[in-house]
Formats: sequence, C-alpha cells, structure tokens
Amino acid sequence: MAASRTDEPDASWAQPFGRGGRPSLIVVAAICALGAVFVLTLKLGSVDLSWSEVWHGMTGESDPLARNIVWQIRFPRLLDAMLIGAALAVSGALLQGVTRNPLADPTILGVTAAAGLAGAAAIKFDPQIPQWGIAMACVGGGLGGGAILFVFAYRGAVSPIRLALAGVALSAFFGAAIVGVLSSSRTFLQTSLGFLAGGLYGSEWRDLRAMLPYLAPGFLGAVLLSGRLNILALGDDIAAGLGVLTDRTRLAILAVVGILTGCAVATAGLVSFVGLVCPHLARYTIGSDNRFLIPVSALYGALLVGGADLIAKLLISPSELPMGIITAGVGAPFLLYLVRFRE
Amino acid sequence: MRISVQDLTLSFGPRTAVRGVSFDVDAGEMVSIVGPNGSGKSTLLRGMSRLQRPTSGRVLLGETDIRSLGAREVARILAILPQSPDGGSDLTVRELVYRGRFPHQGILQRITAQDVEAVEWAMDSADVSGLATRPLESLSGGERQRAWIALALAQQPRVLLLDEPTSFLDIAHEIEVMHLLRRLNRDGMTVVAILHDLVLAARFSDRVIALRDGAIALDGPPADVLEAEALEHVFGVPMMIITDPATGLPIPLPRPDPQLCPVLPGNSGDERAQPAE
Repeated sequence: MAASRTDEPDASWAQPFGRGGRPSLIVVAAICALGAVFVLTLKLGSVDLSWSEVWHGMTGESDPLARNIVWQIRFPRLLDAMLIGAALAVSGALLQGVTRNPLADPTILGVTAAAGLAGAAAIKFDPQIPQWGIAMACVGGGLGGGAILFVFAYRGAVSPIRLALAGVALSAFFGAAIVGVLSSSRTFLQTSLGFLAGGLYGSEWRDLRAMLPYLAPGFLGAVLLSGRLNILALGDDIAAGLGVLTDRTRLAILAVVGILTGCAVATAGLVSFVGLVCPHLARYTIGSDNRFLIPVSALYGALLVGGADLIAKLLISPSELPMGIITAGVGAPFLLYLVRFRE
Repeated sequence: MRISVQDLTLSFGPRTAVRGVSFDVDAGEMVSIVGPNGSGKSTLLRGMSRLQRPTSGRVLLGETDIRSLGAREVARILAILPQSPDGGSDLTVRELVYRGRFPHQGILQRITAQDVEAVEWAMDSADVSGLATRPLESLSGGERQRAWIALALAQQPRVLLLDEPTSFLDIAHEIEVMHLLRRLNRDGMTVVAILHDLVLAARFSDRVIALRDGAIALDGPPADVLEAEALEHVFGVPMMIITDPATGLPIPLPRPDPQLCPVLPGNSGDERAQPAE
C-alpha cells in the first residue's frame, strides 16, 4: 500500500515532555519553584535565619539552635510535605487512570477517609501508639479502602457515575465515623482539628521513618504499573487482547493507591484536593501518557503541598494554619479555572 | 498459524451463548463468521482469544492450548480487534499504534529498532502513515477503524480476529478494509472476521461459518454453503441467491415482500397513490 509518510518516525513518541519534543516550560518552571520552596522553607518561619545559618544548619557546622531549627524541624517537615504531596498526586493520577474518570481522587472515592478511620481508631485504642504504628494502621485502612472500591466499582460493569456515587457514600460514612471516634476522645480539640483539616504541625524525622517503608515500594509500584495503565486506558477488551490481565492490574493499582494514601494520612491527616488537581495540571502540560503523567503529577503534588505548608506557616506567624486549608484554598479555585476556561 | 476450536462452550452466568462449537482454521485461511444478532458470534471470537474463559472445551494455537500460554505470549501470536473500541481518543495515531507493541516490550517499555520497524510497517499496511500525528478523535470513522487495525498489526500477529471491522463504514472504506485483510491474508496471516454483510463474506472469504443459537449452522466455501434455504434457516427471513456476474460467487439477498415493496403490484404504496373514493 502506498505510504505517504509525512514526518520522521518517533517524532511524537517517547518524548518525556510534550508532543513538540521540547521540555515543557511549565515543568521546568515547576522544578525551579520547588527549589525556591525548598530554600525558603529552610530560611523563613517564626525565626528568620540568615542564608549562612541555613547553610551551616544543613551541613552541621553551626550553633546548636540554628542546627536544631534547620535540621531537626524545618528540613524533615519539608521532606514530609513534599513526599505526601507526591504520594497524594500519584494516587490521584492512578485513580483517574484506572477509573477512566476525571473526578477520581483518593478523597472523593473514600480511600483517604478509610485510612483516616483506621488511624483514628488506632490512636483511640492506644493513645501512646508510636508513629510507625499509626502509619501501619493508616496503610492498612488505605488498602481496605482500595479493596472496597474494587468490589464496588468492578463487580459487573464499570460505570463512572456509580463509582463516584459509591465513593461519595463511603467518604461520608468513613468521615462521620472518624469524627465519631475523635470526638469521643478527651483531646479532641487540640489534636483533632489539625488531623481533620490536614496539617504538618510538629512533623519530623520520626514521621518520615514511619512512612518510608511503605512509600518507597508505593512509588516504585506506581512507576512500574504506569505502562499497563496506558494500555488499560484503551478499554478492557483491547487491553486484554494486548496481554494485560485487567482485573489483576486494577487490584495492584488500587493497592498502590491505598499504600500511598495511607502514608499521607498517617503523616498529615485528611488533605484534600491534591490528588484531584495535580494530575489534571500534569495532563494539561504533558498529555495523558501515564509514564510521564505520574512523575510530573508527583512533582506538582510536592510543589503544592510544600508551598502550601510554607504559606500555612507564614500567614499568621508565629502561629500557623492547617496546611490542608491552603491546598484546598489554592486547589479548588484553580480547578474551577481549568474546568471553565480550558478545553 | 492454525487455530483449532474444540467443543467450545461459553456462558455468561446461567446463559449459554456458544454451545459445543468445533472447527479448525488452517494457517493462511480467511474465514468469515456470520449469523443473526445474539447468535454468539462475538462471544465465540472472545473465546477464541483469551478475552473469555470457556465453560468447557478448548482453543489450540498451533498445537498449544491457549490457556496454558501467558496472556502476553498469546498477544504476540494472536491479535483481536473488538467491535468499535472507544478508548484512547486523545492519542495520536502513532501513539496508539505503539501501544500495540506492549506484548513485545519489557517492563520499562524501551523502544527498540524492531518496535519502530513493526509500527511503521503496521501503519503503512493499514494506510494510516499519513495520519500518524493526528489525534484519534479528529479522524473519520473509516480512518479510525484503520488506526485500530494498525494497532492490532503492530502486535505482528500470525492470527488476526476482527469483530465487524466494517460496521459504520461507507462502501469505499468497507472495500478498503476488506482489501487490506485480504492482502494480509495473502502474506500468510490467518484471518477470522465477523461480518454482517453476506455479500462481503461471499466475496472475500475462503470459508463462511454461520452461527445460529450458539451452534454452527453452516460451514464451508461460500459457493457451497450460501444457499437460500440454509440462510433462511439461519436468519429466519425469506432469502434468495443471485450470481455475481464478475466472479460467479453467490450474492445472498432477502426476498422482497410483495405487500411492502413499492415496485411490486398490490403493495400499500400503490393503494395510497389511488385517490380516495
């Protein structure tokens, strides 16, 4: 058959950053912004440090006070913020891919609330529970939420509307249960508001160590599943015809979502909107190939939560707002903008 | 490659869609499957790939039971194009066709020279090279169908199964797709296609299999099996056969109902034309 070849082979494929073959400027800008958030978070806060204090605080050659502020307080909290932002954004990207539904997100589908309920129950059961115990409970809850989602969404036909309705119902149910558990505890007002709104108050190395054993395999799993997710996007029959075991792949993806969301909840409580907004942003900048969409979503998630935590600390300094208020405050209007003004 | 269907039964819950069907398709043969809606054609095709697990019976690819092979292993030998796929509309044609390389790729999906060659061949064969950078959603129905065929070809299959590859296409595109299948078949590919159009089935296939209620009603070369009485039994409408003057092959047609055909006497159209008394 006569072939009219109009372009070079491979011009539009396998380009990490967009179809033009050029790195997307927005991605480059996001990397720069992440760097800016990084250094500003170390420098600014209830105590403003000089650049040399920040530098020596990181390298360990400074006075104990600056060292303590930079290395024991600000740096681990910054890492926590970026990692949970990435975890939530990747969870959202995976859920939007596997459900083929742009509304999907760990909060809307009830995974966050399931993880939160398990965490709240663990704290209620043993108020002295160590952070690794909370992380384990939240990851378990997240996995349970993923399993419930699998049962509701995939026994029979996959309908986006049914999925969203089931998610809203689960989310409301688990959310009510969380408030019930928390309000029956004596320390309700002090500890619970930060948990419900989502925040990183007092977050430190301990939190990072507690979630790392789950985060690392979670991120690895997301990357390894991204190619299969691309094939699933073509529809179930096509995917099965190409040799993808569709149900097993979905189950694996929901397990990864449960793990990543559980880690985020264990560290920062119920943070909403990150998982919904970041994958959309990534899709607008680099397209829908999940092998690139997932890492770029992670970048935007790290930037959004890292930036939100910085703003949360500065806005009413020396006091601070729950970080989740800022992610919702920034994320929701931005999503509305995308919905209204972009195709 | 030869594909053998042996006593295959396929069910959805309590409903049996295909009951105990057996037939062989030889390497390099082109077979059409015809039959009324709900006769089990699509289910049979799904059972012949790994899309649906049989209730009983088995399918052999060459000498090997398809269930004893891995999913990707099967996908390297056999490609199936389901009816009107709807995913991936934001992809370009080339991006779509590259996804057909999935069963050949490792976990990191690095693109090899072999992948590039297979994709270019698939796009050339399906005549979509000129559309390579166009998004799927911007294509016409015929172009889109050819892009999906190119996806299946990028698997470099030796057996190609298609579910109504010509539905929703106009005559020109219909003929184009059938010519493409015939060309692939001439180059050695085993092709099994579900067709609605009996005229296309008669003209382009080596063999026609007709299903009725999940069982084989007719099986043989078109010139032998496409007879009026047999087709009446399959489709449940009065049929007649005329002969294609160019090929001598049968052209099956529904027999006209004298009451409802405008040019035959005694039909309601004529009566309506009369002025009312």
